[in-house]
Amino acid sequence: MILRKLILIFAGAGLWACSSHLVVNGNTNKEPVAQTIVSDSSMVSFIKPYKDSLDKRMNEVLAQAEVDFIVQRPASNLMNWVANALYTNQTKTVRLSQPVVCLLNTGGIRSSIGKGNVTLGDIYKVMPFDNTVVWVELPIEVLPEIETYLLKSGGEPMANLSLKEGKLSILSSPENPTHFWVITSDYLMNGGDKMTFFTKRTNVNETGKLLRDVLIEEARIQGKLIYEY
Amino acid sequence: MKRRNFIKNLALSTGSLLIADNLLAETLLPPKSKKLVILHTNDTHSNIDSFPSNHPKFPGMGDVAKRFTLIQKIRSENEHVLLLDSGDIFQGTPYFNTFNGELEMKLMSKLGYDAATMGNHDFDIGLEGFMNAKKHANFPFVCSNYNFSKTVLANETKLYHIFKKGGIKIGVFGIGVELNGLVPKDKYGETLYKDPIETANSMAQLLTDLGCKVIICLSHLGYDYEDKARISDLVLAKETANIHLILGGHTHTFLDKPTVLNNANNQQVLINQVGWAGVNLGRIDIDIDKGILKSSTLEVK
Repeated sequence: MILRKLILIFAGAGLWACSSHLVVNGNTNKEPVAQTIVSDSSMVSFIKPYKDSLDKRMNEVLAQAEVDFIVQRPASNLMNWVANALYTNQTKTVRLSQPVVCLLNTGGIRSSIGKGNVTLGDIYKVMPFDNTVVWVELPIEVLPEIETYLLKSGGEPMANLSLKEGKLSILSSPENPTHFWVITSDYLMNGGDKMTFFTKRTNVNETGKLLRDVLIEEARIQGKLIYEY
Repeated sequence: MKRRNFIKNLALSTGSLLIADNLLAETLLPPKSKKLVILHTNDTHSNIDSFPSNHPKFPGMGDVAKRFTLIQKIRSENEHVLLLDSGDIFQGTPYFNTFNGELEMKLMSKLGYDAATMGNHDFDIGLEGFMNAKKHANFPFVCSNYNFSKTVLANETKLYHIFKKGGIKIGVFGIGVELNGLVPKDKYGETLYKDPIETANSMAQLLTDLGCKVIICLSHLGYDYEDKARISDLVLAKETANIHLILGGHTHTFLDKPTVLNNANNQQVLINQVGWAGVNLGRIDIDIDKGILKSSTLEVK
């Protein structure tokens, strides 16, 4: 019995040893499904408790928006709100001899906020990624590089910075600073969106705080989202 | 002597003899059906519900419960099916921020995933976070070029996994993207990165030597880059041997049809990627004698 099996095994192994590399031998086109697929009901009921608890949390109203908050280059109310909320939150108790500005990326604001209730879910949609807040110190000579970047990109969310007639300047600043601090995200500091000027940093302070949590905190404090500063 | 012991051990009881016979028949005898269906996803990014019906790009697409219906149908029509994922399971919806990947792992287990590899976003809650979520997964993670031996993930992932379907051995391994510069250091800790091409070549050779007739690389390198010197699936395909399928991710690439390239030994390699967020399910039909019969991208909507 065992012997017979062993013979079969060897015969089998011999047969299979001669097969060659797989070749593409047929149609490789896209085949869209014509009809709508019906959701599997057991899966829907499995997900439901998670969805319900999530919805309940995400539907919490944090603040009111008196207008639609949108993203639009060169600058818009939502871009201003995000940058100013971060700037305000971070500079409340900080007094430095060097100027402090805030610079983020338009691409990082992932959704708009409609007029009316501003929910936790809205803020998650605006900022889904877990980027953290960092302070980056740059030599003042880097400012023209940021100006070039902004002129090329068409505009990014910023606070305490003004871009007028192609000229970038710091709004509130002590006289003749040698360096300035930029409050931004770890993503941008590490070369995200090709903001290569951050490689010229002279100092970094990582807060470890999520950018999204800062926005949630500020929305609660403001009650009505403030976009004009 | 060794063989005599082997036979003796086999004969210890009728029960073990029966089991052994079945095992032999399963693994070594020519199969009845030589058809194998490979299903795959990539970059699902915690998308569990479908996109809203007014979504500009994917209205009503990408629902996990619909993916399940589709997979069940294909399983009912085919005896030998493998369901694989190429990483970035995490990050993208509040489900992830709220439940820390637990739900994604539970759902993939219910969907019947056979194996997955890790993408860069699967490090987003750190190695311990990933490990906690992975407790809810009933399928292996294959990670061949991340060396986790100095981390909490030591022995938690596999270098490769061999499936046996209808007597055919299918070898699956995973190639991840360089984490330095992409993932914060505190998230990946002491994970060591090994060269993707070298690793892929040694894995594919090993799996060939172990008798695998189909060798699949789950890759999170990305499909292609402007900088052609940068490692991508296209580069990987050309510079390796013995791999049949590269199922990719990372670049969220939608392909009209899979790319077929010649490898270092002038043999064909099929490279595929199916976008992201679970809006598509990739399907590749293989006949072990005739080759790759068909490849299709199935829309989940």
